[in-house]
Amino acid sequence: MHELSLAVEIGSIAERELGATVSRCVAVGVDVGLDSGVEPSALEFCLESVLSQPPWTGACPVLSTQAGDVLRVSWLEVEDDDRSED
Amino acid sequence: MTVRRIEVRERVMARNDELAAQVRARLARHGVAALNLMSSPGAGKTTLLERTLEVLGEPLAIAVVAGDVQTQNDADRLSVHTGRLVQAVVTGGACHLDALQVSEALDHIDLDRTRLLIIENVGNLVCPASWDLGEQARIVLFTVTEGDDKPLKYPKMFEKADWVVMTKTDLLPYVPFDIERAERNCLQVNSALRFIRVSALTGNGLTGWFDLLHRSVVPLAGV
Repeated sequence: MHELSLAVEIGSIAERELGATVSRCVAVGVDVGLDSGVEPSALEFCLESVLSQPPWTGACPVLSTQAGDVLRVSWLEVEDDDRSED
Repeated sequence: MTVRRIEVRERVMARNDELAAQVRARLARHGVAALNLMSSPGAGKTTLLERTLEVLGEPLAIAVVAGDVQTQNDADRLSVHTGRLVQAVVTGGACHLDALQVSEALDHIDLDRTRLLIIENVGNLVCPASWDLGEQARIVLFTVTEGDDKPLKYPKMFEKADWVVMTKTDLLPYVPFDIERAERNCLQVNSALRFIRVSALTGNGLTGWFDLLHRSVVPLAGV
């Protein structure tokens, strides 16, 4: 449950970051500290569930473990429709 | 299609921490001290608060926010012992309280008539440690019916705490619990921890607990 609530918050952060852009998010990068109290595999599982729902429709979680207690959304990868810029 | 990367670097807890800072500032404006009471389920948080409200509910103008996963049984139990407000927060399955829930609970409390806010967190030794609620001090209840190695198994909870209250000490003769070793294990995780030993059933040690609460209403300096 802890990891699920964190996954929902990660989804909210990503949604705020994307704002009203029409870009499709294809990956969400998350840094997980080894002392953060978060189990990376459990968080990844929960993120897969959260990101399988709209508006994400299958964005892939990419977790990166590191020293310390950091837990942050590091980056988003978005796919732009080139034709929209014509 | 072009794939591009957007740098975000936003802490997952940033929004909660921002709300917790707002709660802390709001309480400070009203001169209210706040304690976050955490433990595993069944460690005796509600029973300790029952004894506390009976004795200090009025003198210290205590308000309680009682978190529970489901039901408001704890809040109902506490309400019997005080005419003061006990605000229930049912998390609906979530395993911890967050700063938004506490902030919303404060809307129902007359802070001008409150000197001490006690937040009874959801019984859980893992998740509540990660969530700042705007408290001034964190208190972990550690009961003698648990293993004395709990601090080593759940270090974050004890790392983030200010006080450990050893509860149900009346059961010490009947359980294989080494209280000195338990406290050493706590100190191994957090050398700044301070301890109180109580039995809410017999009343033994409650004076030390009550002293802590008296001191805590002098903001920060006494805790």
